Amino acid sequence: MSKKVLSLLLVGLLAVFAFALFGCGDDETTTEETETDVTVETTTDDTVTEDTATEDTEAAGGEAAESDYPSRTVEVINQFGPGGGTDLFIRAIGMPMAKITDQSIVGISVTGGGGVPAATEFFNRPTDGYTMMAIGPEEVINHAMGRIDATQFLPVARVQYDQGLFFVGPDSEYESVEQLIEFARENPGDLSIGVTGAAGFDEVLVGLWNLRSEAELEVVPFESSAEAQAAVLGGHTDLMYEEYGPMRALIESGEVTPLVLFSEERLPVLEDVPTALELDIDVTLGRWRGFAFKEGTDQQYVDTMFDVIEEAVEDPLYTSVEEQNMLQYRSELLGPDEFQEFFNSEMETYSDVMEQLDLAQ
Amino acid sequence: MIEGFVSASEYMLSNPFNFILLILGVIWGILFGATPGLTGVVGVALLIPFTFVFEPIEGLVMLGAVYVGSTFGGSISAILFNTPGSPEASCTSLDGYPMAKKGQAGMALGLALGSSAIGGIFGTIALILLAPPLADFALAFGPSEYFALAILGITAIASIGSKSIWKALIAGFLGLGLATVGIDPLTGFGRFTFGNDSLLTGISFIPALIGLFALSEVLARVGGTSDGDLLGGGVVSTKLPRLREVWALRITLLRSSVIGTLIGTLPGVGATTAAFISYSEAVRWSKKPEAFGTGTPEGIAAPEAANNAAVGGAMVPLLALGIPGSATTAVMIGGLTIHGIVPGPLLLVQNKELVYSVFIGMLLANVLMIVAGIHIAKYFAKILRLPYAYVGPSIVVLCTTGVFALRSNYFDLAVMAAFGALGFLLLKLDYPLAPLIIGLVLGPIAEVNLRRAMILNNFDMIEIISRPIAGGLLLLSALSLIYGFYYQYRTYRKTC
Repeated sequence: MSKKVLSLLLVGLLAVFAFALFGCGDDETTTEETETDVTVETTTDDTVTEDTATEDTEAAGGEAAESDYPSRTVEVINQFGPGGGTDLFIRAIGMPMAKITDQSIVGISVTGGGGVPAATEFFNRPTDGYTMMAIGPEEVINHAMGRIDATQFLPVARVQYDQGLFFVGPDSEYESVEQLIEFARENPGDLSIGVTGAAGFDEVLVGLWNLRSEAELEVVPFESSAEAQAAVLGGHTDLMYEEYGPMRALIESGEVTPLVLFSEERLPVLEDVPTALELDIDVTLGRWRGFAFKEGTDQQYVDTMFDVIEEAVEDPLYTSVEEQNMLQYRSELLGPDEFQEFFNSEMETYSDVMEQLDLAQ
Repeated sequence: MIEGFVSASEYMLSNPFNFILLILGVIWGILFGATPGLTGVVGVALLIPFTFVFEPIEGLVMLGAVYVGSTFGGSISAILFNTPGSPEASCTSLDGYPMAKKGQAGMALGLALGSSAIGGIFGTIALILLAPPLADFALAFGPSEYFALAILGITAIASIGSKSIWKALIAGFLGLGLATVGIDPLTGFGRFTFGNDSLLTGISFIPALIGLFALSEVLARVGGTSDGDLLGGGVVSTKLPRLREVWALRITLLRSSVIGTLIGTLPGVGATTAAFISYSEAVRWSKKPEAFGTGTPEGIAAPEAANNAAVGGAMVPLLALGIPGSATTAVMIGGLTIHGIVPGPLLLVQNKELVYSVFIGMLLANVLMIVAGIHIAKYFAKILRLPYAYVGPSIVVLCTTGVFALRSNYFDLAVMAAFGALGFLLLKLDYPLAPLIIGLVLGPIAEVNLRRAMILNNFDMIEIISRPIAGGLLLLSALSLIYGFYYQYRTYRKTC
C-alpha cells in the first residue's frame, strides 16, 4: 500500500512539474537555470575559441547578423545569488521579455569573489548576442579597484534606478537629519552606520556623504541587509543605509525612521523626508540595474534587445514588481547611447570618490 | 491566537488542495535537500514563479513545507554517502556516516528523521507562542554577542580531540586559517590571494566540506585504506530506532531544539551554525565525549534537531519584524512581496489566516516528513547495495556538478579537489575532521564580528567583555576550555 502511495505522489509531483514547465514560461527558465547551466557552462570553454573564430570570419566576410535573433535562450550572468535584488530583477523583466521574444531569458548567478568570477565568465563568452550581463555600480567599483575592465561592457539598457535612505532605529534620539548632522559634525566618526557589503555601493555612498557633509559617519559593513537591519533595530549601530524596497515593512510598522533621502526629488510615499540635496549636500547616487553585452557584439543585436526591453518595461508583469519596490520614480529607461554616457559618468564619479576614500587601487 | 487557529483550520479543511501542496512541498524539499548543490534556497526559489497561480496562502504553505523538508533531506546523503546534500546537514556526516558504516544506516536515518521532526515541531511551537520575545532576543545580539557565540562553539574543539589534543588543535587552527583566504569581509580587499584574482573567491565552506568528506572518502575507498566492502559488508539494515532509543536522547534533543530555535532567530547565522554549536554542546555535556565521531546517536540527534528547530526560529524575525532570518526566508520574502504581501508585524494583524495557516502547515509538514522521509531514505539506501565501483564514481560526478551548480564558480571546483586531497591526507594521518570543519564554519563569524564589535566599541576590548550576554558566553567558553583540557589530561594520565 505504502509503495502505491509513494508512486502516486511521485507521479503527482512529476505532473505538477510538467504543468509548471508548460503552464508558465518563466518557470521553464528558472528550472533550466540549475540544470542546464552546468552543461552549458562547461561546454562554453571548449567552444569559445571556435566561436570567436567564426565571429572573426563573419566580420571579415561582412555577413549580416542572424535575422531571426533571438532564436534560442538568452543567458544573463549576474554576481548575486537567488533572492537578491538583481536576481529578482532578472526574473521580473525576464518574464515579459520571454513573452515578447518567445525565447527563455535565464539568469545565471556566478557568485562569490566580489563579482570578479561573474565578469570573467561573461568576458569569456562569445559575442553572439546570447549572453548578457546584468550590471550595476558593483561593476563600476570593481573597475575602479582594478579588478575588471569595465570598458569592455557594451551597455544596452539601464532599466532600474533606485533611491536609498538613512534610517535610525526605534530608540534613536535623532528625529531629524539636521540633529544628526549637527552631532556628527561636532563628533566626527562617533556615529556608526550599518551598510551591506564591504567596499561596495553603500560604502561609496556613505563615503561621499562624509566628504560632502563633513558629518562623518563610521561605516560598519554587514554581509546581508537583514543583519544590518537587525543591528540598527537592536541599537548596535546608530544608523543604516538601504534602499526603500527592502525597508518597506519596517517603515510601515514604524520600527525604523527614515531621516534623509538620496535622490533629486522627495518620494511621494515619504513626503516629510528631505533629500540630501535640499540640505546642500550633493549626494544623489543611486543603485541602478541594467543590461550589457560584451564589446564587439553586433549593433543589430543591441538594437533588437533594447526594443525588447523597451516593450517589456511597459508590461504589467514587470511594472507591478517595480511598484512593489518603489522603483518607478527614478527608473527612466536609458537606451544604448544614453546608458553609455551614464556609465562613463558613473565610472568617473566612483573612481574619484574611491580615490579620495583610499578604496581604489 | 486560538481564534486564529480555528479560522485557519477551517480554511485548510475547506481547501484540501492545501494538503496536496503540503505533501508535494515536503517531497520536493527532501529531494532538493538530498541532492548536493540543490539546497533549500534553490528549491524555494524555483517554486516561487509557480506559486503565482495559487492563492498567497497556498503558495506560502507549500514554500514552508519545502523549507522544512529540505532541512532534513540533506542528512540522507550525509549519512549514506558522507556527502552532505545541503550545508545544514554537514554536521550530521560526522557521526551519521560512521554509524551507517557500522551497518546501521537505517538506525542513523531514523534518528535523523525523528530528531528533525522533534526539533522542527519544537521550533514551530516556539515560533507560534514566543515570536515577540524571541525577536527581542535576536535583536539583543549585536556583533559582540555573535563573536562570543562563535567562540563558545570553537572552544568545544578542546573536548573533541579524542585521540590527540594536538591533532585536534592543529586541525582546528588549520580550519580557522583557511577561512581567512579571499575577500576581506570588512575592507573588501583581497587577503592571502598572492595577487591571484581567482583566489578572491576564497575557501568557501561547501566545496571545502564536500571535498573533505565525500571526495576523500572515495579516495580512501579506492586506495583501500577504508573498508573496501560496502557499508557493513553489503548488508544495509534499514531497521529504524525504537521509541525507547529516541527517549534515551531526550535531553540532547531538548537542548539542541532550544539552541536551534534561538540561533535560528539570528539573521547573521543560520541552521548550519545552529547544528555545529549544538553538536559542540552535545560533546561538551556528554559523559563520553570520546565517542563522538564514531557514530554515536547523540552526534546525529544534536545537529538534526537543531537545524530543523532553526527553521521555526528563522521565521521569527520574518513575522515579528519583516527581516529574513535566513537565506531561504529571504527568498520567501521575495515571493511574498510579489503576491502583494509585506512581511512584518502588521502581517499578524492584517493576514491572520495566512500566518496561522503557515503555522499549521509547518507543523503538519514535520509530521509528513517522517512518512515521506522513511520511504525516500529507503530508496536511497538501496544504492548502497550496488558495487562501490559504480557508487564511487557517481559520487564524484554528483559532487562536482553539485558544487558547480551552487555558484557556477570554477574556483569552487579547485577548492573541492584540493580539499579532497587534504581530507585524504588527514584521514591517513589520523587527524579528526570535526575541528577543521568547526574552524571553517565558525571562524569567519568570530573574526568578522569581533572586528565589527571593535569598530563599534572604539577598539576597547573591555567594553565588549562587559556586555552581559557577550561576557557570559565568553566566560562559559573560558571555563569549558579549561575543563576540556583538564579532562583530556586526566584521560591521558589514565591511559598511560
